[in-house]
Amino acid sequence: MRFDRLVAVEPTDLDIRAGEFFSLLGPSGCGKTTLLRLISGFLKPTTGRILIGGRDMAGIPPSRRPTALIFQNLALFPLMSVWENVAFGLEARGVAKAERRRRAEALLELVALAGSADKKPAELSGGQRQRVAIARALAVEPSVLLLDEPLSALDLKLRQHMRHELRAIQRRVGITFVYITHDQGEALTMSDRVAVMRRGRIEQVDTPERLYEEPATAFVATFVGGSNLVPARVRRKAGTECLAETPLGNFRARNPQDLAEGAEGLLFVRPERLRPAAGHDNRIRGRVVERAFEGPFLLFTIETSQGQRLQVQWLNEGDVHALAAEVEVGFSAGDARILPPGPLADER
Amino acid sequence: MSSGALASLDRRLLSGLCWLLAAIWVFGLVLLPQLFMIETSLWWLERDPQATALSQRIDRLYQEVMLRELDLQAAPVERRPLLEDEIARLREEIALLEAREQQPVKVYGFANYARMSGLHLQVFLRTLAYSVLVTLLSLAVCYPVAWTAARARSRRGRALLLLALVIPYAINELLRVYAWLMIFDYEGLLNALLVRLGLVDRQSGGIPFLTYPFTTFVAMVYAYILFMVFPLYNAFESLDEHQVEAARDLGASTWLLHRRVVVPHARPGIAVGCVMTFMLSAGSYSVPQIMSRGLGGDWFSQLVYRQFFEANNWNIGAAYAFSLLLACLVFVGLVMRLFRVGIREIAR
Ligand SMILES: Nc1ncnc2c1ncn2[C@@H]1O[C@H](COP(=O)(O)OP(=O)(O)OP(=O)(O)O)[C@@H](O)[C@H]1O
Ligand SMILES: [Mg+2]
Repeated sequence: MRFDRLVAVEPTDLDIRAGEFFSLLGPSGCGKTTLLRLISGFLKPTTGRILIGGRDMAGIPPSRRPTALIFQNLALFPLMSVWENVAFGLEARGVAKAERRRRAEALLELVALAGSADKKPAELSGGQRQRVAIARALAVEPSVLLLDEPLSALDLKLRQHMRHELRAIQRRVGITFVYITHDQGEALTMSDRVAVMRRGRIEQVDTPERLYEEPATAFVATFVGGSNLVPARVRRKAGTECLAETPLGNFRARNPQDLAEGAEGLLFVRPERLRPAAGHDNRIRGRVVERAFEGPFLLFTIETSQGQRLQVQWLNEGDVHALAAEVEVGFSAGDARILPPGPLADER
Repeated sequence: MSSGALASLDRRLLSGLCWLLAAIWVFGLVLLPQLFMIETSLWWLERDPQATALSQRIDRLYQEVMLRELDLQAAPVERRPLLEDEIARLREEIALLEAREQQPVKVYGFANYARMSGLHLQVFLRTLAYSVLVTLLSLAVCYPVAWTAARARSRRGRALLLLALVIPYAINELLRVYAWLMIFDYEGLLNALLVRLGLVDRQSGGIPFLTYPFTTFVAMVYAYILFMVFPLYNAFESLDEHQVEAARDLGASTWLLHRRVVVPHARPGIAVGCVMTFMLSAGSYSVPQIMSRGLGGDWFSQLVYRQFFEANNWNIGAAYAFSLLLACLVFVGLVMRLFRVGIREIAR
């Protein structure tokens, strides 16, 4: 999909399964909204096709697609009451007023807003408005619900609450949710599968667990969860593992992309996989330069003698006060991966 | 005195001056003339019931004076003082009577308002009805134009469309109306075109478009189009694009979209446009004057003009003008009630 010369979404093959909670995750401006608008029909793809339920959507306007879109700003109709908002799609389909009201109330019950039918959207809280938008979209019985960062306007507490709410609603109605977010926490907690996007390109599509454990690119590794990356070279291959040569020494790590011997790459380890050193072959020694106490965790940064900084996250087992000024951390080969070089999330 | 205090004094002076100017404007150019008009409409000059008898008597006295003066020239010297006395007495009487004749009595009352003839009342009501038609016609024409302009995707297209609407306003109002005259006249463009197409016989002298009220409507819609387009444009412009898309996405037809979403949102703008167009049409003098030239029916403003400057009866003219103003205000009030628009919203 291009706007003039800008390619907003590169040619992509994306297969979303019926009934799943699918998230599109990526930084701002990476083309998430554009992709969603392509699916909903507000944009015509420059090339390629969009199929929903096996049916080609070319030439079918948004109003006749089996999708319903929830906008980033919700776009509730401010002058209509809550129930009229919910029933708008039914009104468009010529459903009689009494029946509309009945079905709107049933939907409002589904989203736990039974008592607010006659209020105006402005009289509701952010989370309630959110649910009205969902009910309004569900009223037209879409087979795909498209949600464009619907929680971004809410405060943290409410956002976390709404995550569960959304997931529960999705389970109840059983239709496909395509959910856009730039918040990796949201994507991981709610989704069946997540697609990570960068600059109009889909970097990886996977379950949250695999995305976290087995990021395919340096971008995914840094965008999802905390990360440590150290420039590395494949010194020797050994099955799915390899010996990686880094400025900090040689480490054993997995080589999922099967990089050739001598290839440049990035050694990747999650902060929580850098454990107290005992019992690991891969060890790094460093001075503690920063520490942040997070209740259940202790987050700290060590700096090696080569000047490389690494983030470490340890579980708080009641002994964090004993953290020495200099520590040795270790990691198992299974927790480290060597990835092909590529852009990182912070660069954008 | 500190410079801060000086500056604040300055500011107070400036704002005081602004208020003063505004007050002068409102009082001197709006209130005072209106009050004068109202006052004028509330009195008339009562002629003496025996005014004619009186003037006849004065005429007779003048004749008598003339006769006496002739007598005087022919009379012998000893009779002269007697005659001179008599002439003086007659002149005194004439002066007395003339004084009575020159001072018609100024009577206050509402009689001017009751003096509208049946014919004029008919014109009055017709003018109101015509103005309503012009307003509706203007709304029908401007609504799609303003909608298209406000929704134009490219800024350039939007600017061009608005420019095209503004350009005619760089031209003198009379010329703007004359342009329509040239089109609708007996020898006008439209008739020429119809003759050329063979739809009208040249011998018949063409279709007398100018005798139809419709041609005046057209010219008037054109003359006042901006007063409808801009309020509508502003109202449409301020509607969130997502509202439109949400409605479309939920399956709304164009009709439903406008009825339930656009019109409710644009209500104040529509009301402003209608009020302005209505007031301008009802009070328009030049457009019906030029377009109908006495061929079509009169508009009430033309009657008012004639009362003032042809019948030279300012009192009745003022009463007519004020009746029109009152009727328009009542009408506007009704429209605002109908649209449930408050003064506040209008002032927005
Ligand atoms: N109508 C448009 N015309 C031109 N460029 C556009 C248009 N819509 C989007 N773009 C561009 O396409 C790119 C992707 O935009 P998109 O809105 O899809 O990003 P996004 O991932 O939804 O970002 P965000 O998280 O900020 O909402 C951006 O660079 C944007 O400037
Ligand atoms: Mg977006």
